Amino acid sequence: MADITLVQQNTFKRNGHINYFIRCLKALPTAAQGSDSNRITAAFFCISGLDLLGALYERTSKEQRDGWIDWIWSLQAPSGGFRGSPFMTTQNDKTSPAHIPSTYTALLTLSILRAPLDRLNISGLITLLQSCQGKDGSFSPTPGDEVYPNEGFQSDVRMVYCATVISHMIQDFSGINVGLTKQFISNCQTWEGGFASRPGIVEAQGGTTYCSLATLSILDRYTSTPKSAIFTGYKDTLRWLTSRQIGGFQGRPGKLEDVCYSFWCGGAINILGHSDMINNKADRSFLLSAQFPIGGFGKEPEDYPDPFHSYLALAALSLTHSTNDDVGLGLKRLDGIWNVGQDTSDWLKEEITRIKTR
Amino acid sequence: MSFSISSYIPLSERDLWNDIKPIPQDDGPNPVVPIMYSEEYRDAMDYFRAIAAAEERSERALELTEMIIRINPAHYTVWQFRMATLLALHKDLEDELQLMNEFAIQNLKSYQVWHHRLLLLTHISPLDPSSEIDYIHQSLLPDPKNYHTWAYLHWLYSHFYTLGRISQKQWQAELQWCEEMLRVDGRNNSAWGWRWFLRVARPGAEKGKDGLEDELKYALKAIHSIPHNVSAWNYLRGLLRHFKLPLTPLLPAILLYTSRSPSEALTCPEDFNYPGPPTPLPKDTPLPVPLALEYLGDALIEQGSNSQAGEVFSDLSTKYDKMRTGYWEYRRRECVEG
Repeated sequence: MADITLVQQNTFKRNGHINYFIRCLKALPTAAQGSDSNRITAAFFCISGLDLLGALYERTSKEQRDGWIDWIWSLQAPSGGFRGSPFMTTQNDKTSPAHIPSTYTALLTLSILRAPLDRLNISGLITLLQSCQGKDGSFSPTPGDEVYPNEGFQSDVRMVYCATVISHMIQDFSGINVGLTKQFISNCQTWEGGFASRPGIVEAQGGTTYCSLATLSILDRYTSTPKSAIFTGYKDTLRWLTSRQIGGFQGRPGKLEDVCYSFWCGGAINILGHSDMINNKADRSFLLSAQFPIGGFGKEPEDYPDPFHSYLALAALSLTHSTNDDVGLGLKRLDGIWNVGQDTSDWLKEEITRIKTR
Repeated sequence: MSFSISSYIPLSERDLWNDIKPIPQDDGPNPVVPIMYSEEYRDAMDYFRAIAAAEERSERALELTEMIIRINPAHYTVWQFRMATLLALHKDLEDELQLMNEFAIQNLKSYQVWHHRLLLLTHISPLDPSSEIDYIHQSLLPDPKNYHTWAYLHWLYSHFYTLGRISQKQWQAELQWCEEMLRVDGRNNSAWGWRWFLRVARPGAEKGKDGLEDELKYALKAIHSIPHNVSAWNYLRGLLRHFKLPLTPLLPAILLYTSRSPSEALTCPEDFNYPGPPTPLPKDTPLPVPLALEYLGDALIEQGSNSQAGEVFSDLSTKYDKMRTGYWEYRRRECVEG
């Protein structure tokens, strides 16, 4: 276990991170081909990263941002929702269906860019969510059909989280069966107190625990459960989450630290209302040690950076070290449930109200 | 863009494809995060777009989709198209499974690879899933904590149990295999979770007092073999919570690890028959074990000795587990404030 008094003080490479995200937005290397079908999510990590750093307007032109907005709108499927990238060059929703996680990141990215959402097909979004929910309450990433049924391997709490946040964003939960969704999440809690990806799966994991708690916190507010009562039943979850800190955080017992779990576990602890239980000093020194010399964050120290870990490192730092913190990393405050800058989620709420009452 | 001299023959120069007009990706004038595609990937995707638009179900579509998923195993649309093509052509899915056996080893972290496999097994629906179980056991050897592999093993047993194709003997054999996994690495949390499924959670798991006693003993023995093993402690606590049992009766078995005298921890029943720590303890066991102190603290709360529990949590906060000072302070305050 790291002795926090001995850990060396790393400086926060703000400019390096800004340059890293700008480079990625211009081009990703061949090694990123595995993300070809989810480019909007890589774009979200980069644009939201610039935003948390407070550099989006400082370092990009209006022309650039308008171009990005056009590209994102081109991903909206005719019947509603967003695709992950233009990889099919077709308007056929059957060969190129909308995709739940891509819809979540597309909506957030449009909002960060303050794009008017008049073109958003809200009723189509609701239909998309309905066609993705399975009988067990889970969601598949794309609408189920006879070849790819709903309740498959990928229909896990990550998809449930995205579907719930989308409903929360558009202030309309008619696309999901709320009771069934809550039941699905409850069934994912394991013998250890955390949450697994699907009911019965053998062990809890940091990312799936974050998704589960964020979903419950949205749905319990929606069903007007008193705030104080929401998480009284989650003492074992809190115990499991705080036990994951070993300097930075591990995703499961017996695994190594990984930058992304500083957000997944730290974010989950934050949702439970206990961010004071995160050992900020130890977490920060691990995160800063995973900075790549010319910007960006890898999974762990010495690793090459990628947009996913780079963004989640900033999101984790922002939860505990935003602008008004004495350490002053100059990061924007984060909405820890939607995982985007608080100013963006405030804007999106107003924007949805505007387009609904227009 | 590749300027190297490559041995790759573009599809346009292959007879098999000369009737197809490739469709390039339309990334618009302002692409975001454009990827520097390899020549092979770009070429294959241009032809994939064309056959997908025509909904072509053919042998060459299978070749093409294989080429793409070898480069990008996360391409859900390509996987979906491949499965639809396999079914439309009534292909022998055992052959596809063979291909996946080779494929999975290189792509253990791809959701799509496992989803495809799950669909194959659903369609093939063997009367006896043993060979698939064996394959999964094998693939856990090089990567014994792979989340997807364990999730798939769980699906496999759940699915085939529902179909009535898992015998009592197979459940027994699985438990033995799981025990072997834990013998090799007592800290493998996934294997602990699998034991929980086999012994507690699965439909048809042995219910009743004897089974539970065995499990409590199993967990205690594991703690005695590695006193700082968080998975074993969590398993023990999980059992007690699940079966709504008090912590206090097991205290004598773990008190040694708290470095506190028995007088503090009260009653030890006379007919105590749970395994105790080895004497002497393994030399490399730093004491006290924070997990044992936590157990003691919770047992003290159970007994109504809140102020004593508060002292235990205070020790954890200030001396023995400083990483989690915030959490232990919170536990201590709960004791003091009632």
